[in-house]
Parts: sequence; C-alpha cells; structure tokens
Amino acid sequence: MTDSLAVESELPTSLMTVNLGPSHPAMHGTVRLTVTLDGETIIEAIPEIGFLHRGFSKSSEQSTWHQVLPYTDRLNYVSPILNNVGYILGVEKLIGIKDTERSQYLRVLMGEISRITDHLTCVGAIGLELGAFTVFLYAMEARELLWDRIAELTGARVTTSWTRVGGVATDMPPGWEQKLRDCLPRVLELTDEIDQLLTRNRIFIDRTRDIGIISAEDAVDFGFTGPCLRACGVNYDVRKAHPYLVYDRMDFTVPLGERGDTYDRYVLRLQEIKQSYRIVLQCLEQMPPGPIIIDDWRYALPPKKDVFGSIEGVMAHFKLIMEGIQVPAGEVYVYTEGANGELGFHLVSNGKGKPYAIQVRGPGLPILSALPHLIKGHAVADLIPIFDSINMIGGEVEQ
Amino acid sequence: MAQALIDRVREKFAAAKGSSHRGDEVVTVERGDLVAVIAFLRNDSACDMKLLRQIAAVDLLTFAGETTGGGSLASIEAPAYATAHKPQVEPRYYVSYNLYSITKKQSLRVRVDLRSDDLKLPSIASLYKTADWWERYVYDMFGVVFEGHPDLRRLLMYPEFVGHPLRKDYPVRKRQPLVPELDFPDLVRGPGPGPGGAGVPMSQTHVGRKNVDPNTYD
Repeated sequence: MTDSLAVESELPTSLMTVNLGPSHPAMHGTVRLTVTLDGETIIEAIPEIGFLHRGFSKSSEQSTWHQVLPYTDRLNYVSPILNNVGYILGVEKLIGIKDTERSQYLRVLMGEISRITDHLTCVGAIGLELGAFTVFLYAMEARELLWDRIAELTGARVTTSWTRVGGVATDMPPGWEQKLRDCLPRVLELTDEIDQLLTRNRIFIDRTRDIGIISAEDAVDFGFTGPCLRACGVNYDVRKAHPYLVYDRMDFTVPLGERGDTYDRYVLRLQEIKQSYRIVLQCLEQMPPGPIIIDDWRYALPPKKDVFGSIEGVMAHFKLIMEGIQVPAGEVYVYTEGANGELGFHLVSNGKGKPYAIQVRGPGLPILSALPHLIKGHAVADLIPIFDSINMIGGEVEQ
Repeated sequence: MAQALIDRVREKFAAAKGSSHRGDEVVTVERGDLVAVIAFLRNDSACDMKLLRQIAAVDLLTFAGETTGGGSLASIEAPAYATAHKPQVEPRYYVSYNLYSITKKQSLRVRVDLRSDDLKLPSIASLYKTADWWERYVYDMFGVVFEGHPDLRRLLMYPEFVGHPLRKDYPVRKRQPLVPELDFPDLVRGPGPGPGGAGVPMSQTHVGRKNVDPNTYD
C-alpha cells in the first residue's frame, strides 16, 4: 500500500487551471476564482471581484443624505437593517445628534433580528453545499418567520430603508410584539435542530474540522472582523468594545472559537444566534414608550398634522423634501458590528446638502481577500465549505 | 485618550499635524514619512495598531463648489461644470489610512495629501496583508499609484475600463467603450453565429466592433 502511494507521488502531473464562476451555483453568483490545481490540490487561487459593482459611492455622492439609505439596503441584502443603522449613525455623528431612546431600542432589536437571519443564511448555505439539504430548509423556515416580522414592521422584507436621521420610520404595529414572541421559540427550535443535525455529525466534522485554518495574527493582518475573527479566538466585537445605541445595557456574551477553521466559524454563528436572541428579549423587556423620532424639524419630517396645519410645518416639510437635510462640513468614520464584521462608513460632508464622499468598509472585502490564503493546499472540494463559512456577500464586497 | 496617540506620533515625527472632529482623531503626515509612521503605529507597543480597517481616498476638486440639494439634473451634471471651470485645488486628493488597535481599543486615521500631478504613494502591502486589496481599490477608483505594490491591478472595474470613476471630474453618465471579446485559443464552441462558431477563427470576429465609435455607441 505504501509502495503504491510512493509511486503515485512520483507520477508526473501537470497543473490545470479551472475557472470557477462568476456564474457558478457555489460562488454565490458574483465571484470568479481562477484556481490552479495539481490533481485535486489547490496550488493557487486568484479571486476576481467586481461583477456586482453598482457604483455605490458614485451614486451616493449624487444623492441627498437620505437618498443614500436605499443604496445601503443593497450592500448586505441578508441583513439590510444593520446597514441602515450603520449609515444613519454616521450621518447623526456628523450632525452631532442622537435619536430617541425608543428608536435606539428599536434599532438594536431589529438589528439583532437581522443578525439572526444573516447567520441562519450562512449556516443553511454551509449545510446545503455539503449535501445537508434539510438544514437549509430549516434555516429558511426560521429566516422566513423573522423576515415576515421585519416585513410587518418596516413594510419590506429586504429593502427596508427603515432608519431615519434622528429615529426610525415606523413603530411596532399593534400585536407585533406578541407575534415576535410567538415565533422566536420556533426559530430557536429550528436552530437547535440544525445544531443537532450538523454540530456532532461525523461527515460534517470531517469536512470542516481543520479545514481553512487561519491564525489569529494572520486574521488581524488580513483585516478580519466579526465571526471570522472571533473564530480565531480574538475578542473583538464592536458592540462590546465600543458600545453604540443601547448595547451597553444588554447582557450578552461574545462567543469565541479556538482554531479558526471552517467548523469554528460555523459553530460561532450558531452561538451568536442564541446571544442575539437574548438581546432581542431584553430589548422587548426594556423598551420604553415614547416617540420614535426626534422632534427637530431640521432633520425629521414634521407630523402630518403640523404640515397641513402650520406654516412652520409646511416649510420644514418642503425644505426637507426638496433640499434634504443640511449636514455640517466634516469627516467621520463610523463603525458598527454588521453580521459579518465591522461595517464602516467613511463619510465626508462639505455642508452643501449632499454627501461629498462616501466609502464603505464592507466586512467581507478583507475576508474575501484572504480566500487564497485559506484554501491553499486544500482539495477543490473543500473550497466550497470554506467559501461558505466566510459568508461573502457580493453587495457589500463589490459595492 | 486618542489625543495621547497623536502626541506620541508627533513626538517621533515632528512634521505630523493632528486634528480631531466629532471624536475621530486624524494625523496628517508627509508622504515621505507615511511608511515610517504606519510602521511605528503598528509595531510600537503603546500604539499596537494591528488592524488596518480601510484605505479611503477623497478628491477635493468640487469640495468648495456649489451643489444644490435634491436629485435635479443640474446636480448630476455638476462634475462637468466643475471641470469646465477648472478650479485650482491643490493638493487635490488625500488618502486616509484607518488604523485600529484591538488591544488598546483606539483608532487613528493617517492622512496624506497628494497633488494631482504627482499621484504616487509608497505601498504598505508589506506591513498589512489587507492593504493589498485596499490599495488596488484606491488605484482603481482614484488612480493613485502605489509604488512597491506586488500586483497593482484594478479591483472592482475591469482592466479595459477607461478613467477612475470616483474622481469628481468623472461624469456620472459617462459611457465606456465596448470591449472586444477576448480570444480564447483553446475554447471549443458549437456552430452558430457567435465568435468562434461556423468555422471562423475567434481572432477574426469582434462582434460588430468595426463601425462603432467607442465614445458614442449609444
């Protein structure tokens, strides 16, 4: 047996170049990988991105500050509310205002629901592409339950555009809180089903354990943030390190991995779903009544009663609709914990009513740039679970 | 907290200028000092900025110009207006390196001003692996050349793209020339009208390219 292996290793082989994607079911639609193979082993991989580039920055610079909001939905289309919140926090930082307390709780609440949907998508996709179709269906069922709640509150499943400068667009409709409380146990139950199906599954462990390892130093060097960084054991979560909104009032832990392999990245996401669930419940408990948007007509639309009933109201309405909000000149970088890591917006204003420059730091871009490092030396069949576990979202990476 | 960080940089590099806006600290350095400053921030134990979050760039061409609010057509044409009036803004660009320390929980942006006739920066890809793609991004969008970068190609746009889209004088509605289909010598295609089909060698067919003015094809 050993002899034949020795002979095999001496057999002359020639390298083969294979193009994966951009139209490939496992490439999530948008990435092209030029992989050089020696037999089944990946020698080199060159990712090529930009097929989903829509000119986010250029479009944003032609819009008013509020008109950018729909573009941010389309950055990470699995957890759009987290993008909405991240961007609006940046505008509020430039202006120097804070939203109302109830709006802060609502933003955290919806953000954590979005985080659960994002993680469920990632976990489901790993299962799906390793042949566990059931897992995918469980994840989709749970995700649909939450997306229905999001749709009931914001009016849209995915393209929510829900935040506003100084608050949010809509409050919880009557009976919504009870609906959410009713569906959350089912979401958790489905998550546990996924956990039981995969986490101790021999086939799954063999396919993911010690595959796609990255060390903590390399991960930081490559600019990893979020679950992929924490899977290496580095404790960096923006929600804990620099609490924004009301995260400092929430009791939750940041799960950490040890090895930084595909398995850890998967397990970490399941654990984070549980923590997000805790935050959602705490938000519901602590949420105070009150207005959902500030009462400052320079930034927030006046109530319709005032628009039709007072000259100040109609003027404020006209100015906001026709010219948009006026943001003082300045430059800020604002960062929040997106579902896949630190979501940053670099905003520059020249005080003329439009974003002068916007550049987004999608958490997926640095992580995707490390893909050749992650998959080098693995079999081509391992590429797919590794690629799934970093949960690259084309919208934010390619802007 | 972060003021101490700026002081620490200024101790070492006297030419650096610190500023702060809404709690964000920025230190502006000369281009010649850039690599040294970033290496210092990365390796100094009191700074320990091991995470490079982002490299962003800004074109200041129309910064002082008048723009109106709303989505009017005039605002879309603003870059053309600005180019026609040739404002003299120098240094026109700046590049902003966003550094963060996970252990010290502090962040700092390092800013370098660039003149438009000398758009060059030393690469820091040897200090941070993530700088590789961010520098390609800035090169792609603004045309800043990073000297010493291992593989400076466009990141998001395709190689045949003309111009750098995030420059303020790049018109929003500019059209790009058609790109001829690449010749794949070992590509086997079936019969049909497309390139390479019906026995015509790929290299001879360029999809109706001959009579098209690349600038006005639409």
